[in-house]
Amino acid sequence: MNTLVILFFLLLGAYFVAVLENWISKGRFQLSAPLYAAVAFLGRESFIPRKPDQIFYEVGPVLLLLSAVLAAAVIPLTPDLIITDLATGALFINAALVYVLVALLMAGWGPDGAYAMIGGWRFLGQLIAYAMLIVMPITAVAMRAESLLTTQIVTSQLSLWNIAYQPLGFALFFVASMALAFLPPFNMMIAKGELAGGVEAEYSGMRLGIFRLGRLVLIVTLAAATVIFYLGGWQGFYLFGFELPPWAWSTVKILIVTMAMLLIGRYMPRIRETHLLSWCWMIGIPLALLNIFVVGVLVLEFP
Amino acid sequence: MSSLQQYGLLLALVVGTVGFILLIYAISRFFGKARQEPGKDVPATAGQLSRDPVWVRYHARYYGYALLFLAFDMEMAYMYPWAVVYKQVGIVALLDMGVFLAILFLGLLYGWSQGALRRQ
Repeated sequence: MNTLVILFFLLLGAYFVAVLENWISKGRFQLSAPLYAAVAFLGRESFIPRKPDQIFYEVGPVLLLLSAVLAAAVIPLTPDLIITDLATGALFINAALVYVLVALLMAGWGPDGAYAMIGGWRFLGQLIAYAMLIVMPITAVAMRAESLLTTQIVTSQLSLWNIAYQPLGFALFFVASMALAFLPPFNMMIAKGELAGGVEAEYSGMRLGIFRLGRLVLIVTLAAATVIFYLGGWQGFYLFGFELPPWAWSTVKILIVTMAMLLIGRYMPRIRETHLLSWCWMIGIPLALLNIFVVGVLVLEFP
Repeated sequence: MSSLQQYGLLLALVVGTVGFILLIYAISRFFGKARQEPGKDVPATAGQLSRDPVWVRYHARYYGYALLFLAFDMEMAYMYPWAVVYKQVGIVALLDMGVFLAILFLGLLYGWSQGALRRQ
């Protein structure tokens, strides 16, 4: 039952992300646009390139959606609303999200097209930049929670949310998760103005539809992960005398994080993976190590 | 739930998602097949036919970072168990990992000084 509710939530979230993205990037607020687009994908031709690597070509979009869904499986929306509360939850989110890279490399390699291939290699460079900034802040979160259980990570923030306890870690994780979801400004591998769509260039019809759906679900998953790691998950406070139920708090927070991610991309120029690499390794990783040290001292002094 | 059941559930989730995608492909197929037309299946290269082979060797210009990344990624695998028991062990854990991270950070600085952190 929980599984179905969460999967439904993911689909609904993907729908809202599509609406919001359309609104923020093109200025058109149309609630029905994603539905029309989905139906249109059903009817479109889905032709495959001349000499593809058949397995890589087919597996790419499927794996993208799978990795996003698997990562979402260990994210709690309320204390009980979680697919499976794995003992290694925080690590499992990492492990599942690494397959985003594999999916994009497969989708880039598969169709034997130059643009797609370069898009895939670009994402590999981007992974080397952002990966450490996903892993290291999560370590600091786990230090405070004394556990990798995602539900326990949320309850550890009862007194003070992690965004206030370790703001540095939040900033690093937020930027890194935008790079992981290849949202603008880190979308050199699929942007329309770059390489004719890059990794997406050789996909058409429903395969492209699944690829896009995977990307939207990935954004929802990452926003939800940010919420449980840093924004206190389902925990809320009295608002004008009302108390919202836990699932509503989760939803509101996930929507706010998604909006923030999309809005930042709206006002930034695209960032090359070369620049991202040097910024992440020269500034980001020293800051992440500092964050681990500061949290280490804080946890011992003020738990 | 035992951990075996949990992983079973995750496996079922994988199978279910793949099944969902196959169902969507089947519905899409129901509306008709792609029409074969000349030039349609050529990979996009700015309006020209793709001439050069694509599956060749590339110069990964970030290989300096990639080597450092391997070292850091291995190290993070050790950080997770440490992070879980950190509060119990206390200040000793902080010092232990502090030394470890300091050595690793020196490695980063050394790589930086040798020019690993730039586009090769």
